[in-house]
Amino acid sequence: MTGLVGAVAQVVVVAVGSPLLVGLMRKIRARLEGRVGAGVLQTWRDLRKLCRKEAISPHGTGWVFRMAPLVLAGTALVVASVVPLVTTQSPMDGVADLFAVAALLALGSVALALGGLDTGTAFGGMGASREVTLLALVEPTILLSVFALSVRVGSTNLGEIVTAAVHDPMAVISPVSLLAAVALGVVTIAETGRIPVDNPSTHLELTMIHEAMVLEYAGPDLALIEWASGMRLFVLLGLLAGLFAPWGIATAGAGPVAVVLALVVLVFKVAVLGAGLAAGEVFMAKLRLFRIPELLAGSFMLALLAVAASYFLA
Amino acid sequence: MNAAGASLLSALGLCLVSALAGATAPRRVRPLLAGLGTACAGAAAAAAGVAALAGQSWSAWLPGVLPLAGARLALDPLGGMFVAVTGAVAVCAAVYGIGYAKHGVDGRVTQATLPLFLGAMLLVPVAASVSTLLVAWELMAVTSLLLVLAEHARRPAVAEAGLWYAVMTHLGFAAIVAGMAGFAAGAAGESFEQLRAATLSPAVRDAVFVATLAGFASKAGIVPLHVWLARAHPEAPSPVSALMSAAMVNMGVYGIVRVGLDLLRGGPSWWWLVVLAMGALSALFGILQAAVASDLKRLLGYSTTENMGLVLIGVGAAGFFASCGDKELAGLALVAALLHVVNHAGFKTLLFLAAGSVLRATGTRDLDALGGLRGRMPYTTALFAVGALAASALPPGNGFVSEWLLLQSLIHALPTSGVAGAVTMPPAVGVIALSAGLAIATFVKAFGVGFLARARTPAAGRAAESPPTMICGMALAAACCVALALAPAAVLPALSHLVAVLLPGHEAVGGVVTLRLADVQGTMSPLLIAAALAVAAALLLGSVRLVARRARRPARLWDCGAGPMTPRMEYTATSFAEPLQRVFDNVLAPESDLAVTPTKESAYLVESIHYRARIPDRIERRLYDPVLAAAASIGRGATRLANGSIHRYLAYGFYALTGVLLVLAVVW
Amino acid sequence: MSDSVYMPLLDLACGAFLLAGVLVLWRRDLAAIVRLFALQGAALAALVIVLAAHEGSAGLAAAGVAVGGLRAGLLPHLMRRALVAGGEGQESRPLVNVATSLLVAAVLAMVAYDASQPLVRLTPTPATQAVPVALTVLLVGFFVLVTRRRALSQVVGFLLMDNAITATAFLTAGGVPLVVELGVSLDVLLAVLVLQVLTLRMRAAFGGTDLDELRELRD
Repeated sequence: MTGLVGAVAQVVVVAVGSPLLVGLMRKIRARLEGRVGAGVLQTWRDLRKLCRKEAISPHGTGWVFRMAPLVLAGTALVVASVVPLVTTQSPMDGVADLFAVAALLALGSVALALGGLDTGTAFGGMGASREVTLLALVEPTILLSVFALSVRVGSTNLGEIVTAAVHDPMAVISPVSLLAAVALGVVTIAETGRIPVDNPSTHLELTMIHEAMVLEYAGPDLALIEWASGMRLFVLLGLLAGLFAPWGIATAGAGPVAVVLALVVLVFKVAVLGAGLAAGEVFMAKLRLFRIPELLAGSFMLALLAVAASYFLA
Repeated sequence: MNAAGASLLSALGLCLVSALAGATAPRRVRPLLAGLGTACAGAAAAAAGVAALAGQSWSAWLPGVLPLAGARLALDPLGGMFVAVTGAVAVCAAVYGIGYAKHGVDGRVTQATLPLFLGAMLLVPVAASVSTLLVAWELMAVTSLLLVLAEHARRPAVAEAGLWYAVMTHLGFAAIVAGMAGFAAGAAGESFEQLRAATLSPAVRDAVFVATLAGFASKAGIVPLHVWLARAHPEAPSPVSALMSAAMVNMGVYGIVRVGLDLLRGGPSWWWLVVLAMGALSALFGILQAAVASDLKRLLGYSTTENMGLVLIGVGAAGFFASCGDKELAGLALVAALLHVVNHAGFKTLLFLAAGSVLRATGTRDLDALGGLRGRMPYTTALFAVGALAASALPPGNGFVSEWLLLQSLIHALPTSGVAGAVTMPPAVGVIALSAGLAIATFVKAFGVGFLARARTPAAGRAAESPPTMICGMALAAACCVALALAPAAVLPALSHLVAVLLPGHEAVGGVVTLRLADVQGTMSPLLIAAALAVAAALLLGSVRLVARRARRPARLWDCGAGPMTPRMEYTATSFAEPLQRVFDNVLAPESDLAVTPTKESAYLVESIHYRARIPDRIERRLYDPVLAAAASIGRGATRLANGSIHRYLAYGFYALTGVLLVLAVVW
Repeated sequence: MSDSVYMPLLDLACGAFLLAGVLVLWRRDLAAIVRLFALQGAALAALVIVLAAHEGSAGLAAAGVAVGGLRAGLLPHLMRRALVAGGEGQESRPLVNVATSLLVAAVLAMVAYDASQPLVRLTPTPATQAVPVALTVLLVGFFVLVTRRRALSQVVGFLLMDNAITATAFLTAGGVPLVVELGVSLDVLLAVLVLQVLTLRMRAAFGGTDLDELRELRD
């Protein structure tokens, strides 16, 4: 029962909290750059405004263009409901597999890339091409990190990995965990399109990846995409926190108090990670597109070393 | 005779009848008769295969069919699986072929050969003696060669592809003959039962395995023996491409499993590490070439190499685990590999048939010249999307299920398989992951550039939807894909059972809605993923409808205020793949040449610029071209021996004969 | 020190040691490479001190402090001075590009793991099980030496190998005798000083430290 309640609670927290997270990160960035910046609630106001505008079907686009935002947001919602952010007892145990979660996130990116291609503009094609290139290069890192994390537990089920980490907190500071954490951190940055891989606030066409794909979307479609991007960021940061700092997550047999506590801890952890990410971005520039493979090769190597370390130091 | 045997024999009979119909019926009804007959044969074969998977076994000895030894046939679960897959692919391709035949492939030879090709493919997995296997194998090679050459009069590339295919397939056949003949010589006889019972020295076993591996791998299109595949599969008529790419390549996998795991009963771990390494190399190289290909059917051909590579990773891992003594994990890996064979057959049939539809409607396979088919060919587009989803191994496609199983078997390898496993498995997982990622890029390109946006050429703009029979053939394949994606539990128990017989152990995968691995922890529910996605999307759609105040409106594309955008401004397949090409520049070694012609008046004014870029198959360049050049130079040298005098030629024969006799006289 | 604290700390020190080693391949900025080298020196010192705490040996702890002082303090300081004097901040075009070098490092790690198994099997203690880490760093150092062009990167590659050898010594045998360690360290220091002088001379003579340009001397 707590599993179901926890799952619903975490979906609600992710859905409501992700625009706030984006708002918080923008605020921190503005402050560090010496600006006042808009309030934390500004992202929600933007979404409300977008919903009141009309959606647009540009000439020459079809069902793929219209369905892409739905699929993107749908995958984000499903992932938000199975990842152990609040509770490890997801009622949808059959989806809570790390491979499945990675594949679902990839499905969302693919939907958006096809939406970009469907417009037939050079921007859409450019964004889609870059997005899938990065997606292809990120995939090995994700799967090898999964491998590294699963060695200790003997399973790729997220609930089981996090439960094992909760019960054995010392294991979290092992080299395996640290290497995998760095690798997954790079992956998170790449998947959510943050600096140095992509710049979410860029308006220079030549450097855009994510923004180039969504150029033709407007109104509720755009709101859905922005919201889904925020959710992906929230979920991935929450997952990172859950895998490497699992304290506070409600495990099997926990009562309602534990779930509430877990919610509070989750919000705190994600806010801290988000703030750290935003602060880090201030000091970094976006990498050239063709330097990104170096970054991803590095993260792949870290993931491979994490796997290797799990037997080096076993 | 039981149901399995009866339906297998009726399938073979129907193949002969349809071949007769194809050879004799008048042109008007020829495709219909031959196609229906082949489809029925395929359905009967599928039924036979399913019956064999369900546990019915059947065997027969037909002494009069082949000289000396007679033909020996036996249907067991392993063979049954391949018979079922081949039959199902044939049903889709034959129904599709009825409509496609008007596209210039309704000649007598083609229509009569297609059913024979199916019959040969059905005979390979049921052959139960060396001679039967070899005859069926050669029949399959010859009939498929005739089919590849069907359109030789129209395109010169077909003849070249046919030549490559003929040479490669016969070299492979020679390797198989050598291996199997050596095996039969070492054993007391040539039937498979005698081979199983034989005790051979390790050196002979190694030689048999290596020789047959080379032959079977060349049929499966495994790197570095893949060069024929990327030529022959695109040049064959599309239903034939589907049969070759979805059914015939499987026979290579069948051969490796049959000889390596069944007849030789497993072997030392280095055999299987070699298989695994070949698989990994094929997976990466195949998908990398596919990712940068702009010819739709060539792309699909390279994707076949990739998928067969993934299957061989599974087979290699299975053999390796078995040699380490871990039967449970070996069973899981083999189930994953066989499930991937089934899944690949499903989506590759669909994709090749859809590519054929596009070719029929537009006359081109070049993705750079396509686009905008979504509006004009809605069914083909939707069906291709289903296939592309499966091929990119994303949920809720069927490719995802088998790749998930494969990954699960590899990541649980650590405790038992020692240092070799510890060093091999992480890179193998990395290879699968990278090939999955590149497959996503490949099929986003194929679908997004080929079918979406606007037509890049007038030919693509005039495309019309295919006739109902063709759509029906594709829809059948798509239905199989969807069924395999949502309910893999329908086939997994049978596969687990078959593997449990092959590698003695218990069944590796169970569960109905949620797949559960028997010996290691792991659960995944493809149905639940699909349902959750559907519910989430419906919820979102409902809430967007609820909050959105204003209706959707058509609008101009954002053109930077510079007037309407033309199709020439669209991203092409080549430009789409350019970042990947640059990232993998060292591996792909693309070639480009730039010719600048200045005007007559001044060297500084440019009249025209000619730029040409191509990405050759690097293995072909490095490995085959030197061999071909050497062969050509030997041939040129040998022309001096032939000066045109008939006496001289006869003298050569005379010298050779007497020389041999002399040698024999001296040696004995 | 109890095993439950000793093992994670040892693993952590080894992990940091390995990470610093392979990240040298990643960075082009020479200042960052020197920082990474200092970090590795610190990780090595931590490793020795953890071993000392486990065995309760004061001599080993002293050796650890000495190693830390030399490799995390003095050598990086010298290199930084060379860097400031030189003014060439970037590793220009390594012979093998960065992405490929990283993948090579991953492969080297696997090779090292495979190759060091007999050694580990000899005495399977937690410390010897970390020997593959040291061997990996040794191979990575060698690889840096082979593929990097700048004199300073070469020095770092050389020192990575030396760090790895020291780490192996401490992990397998609880350290070489203090005298030998001191002698080796002095040798290394001397080598670095000589290289630094050479670098300065090279720059004075040719205006750069790209080692490929040395080839011209032969002609």
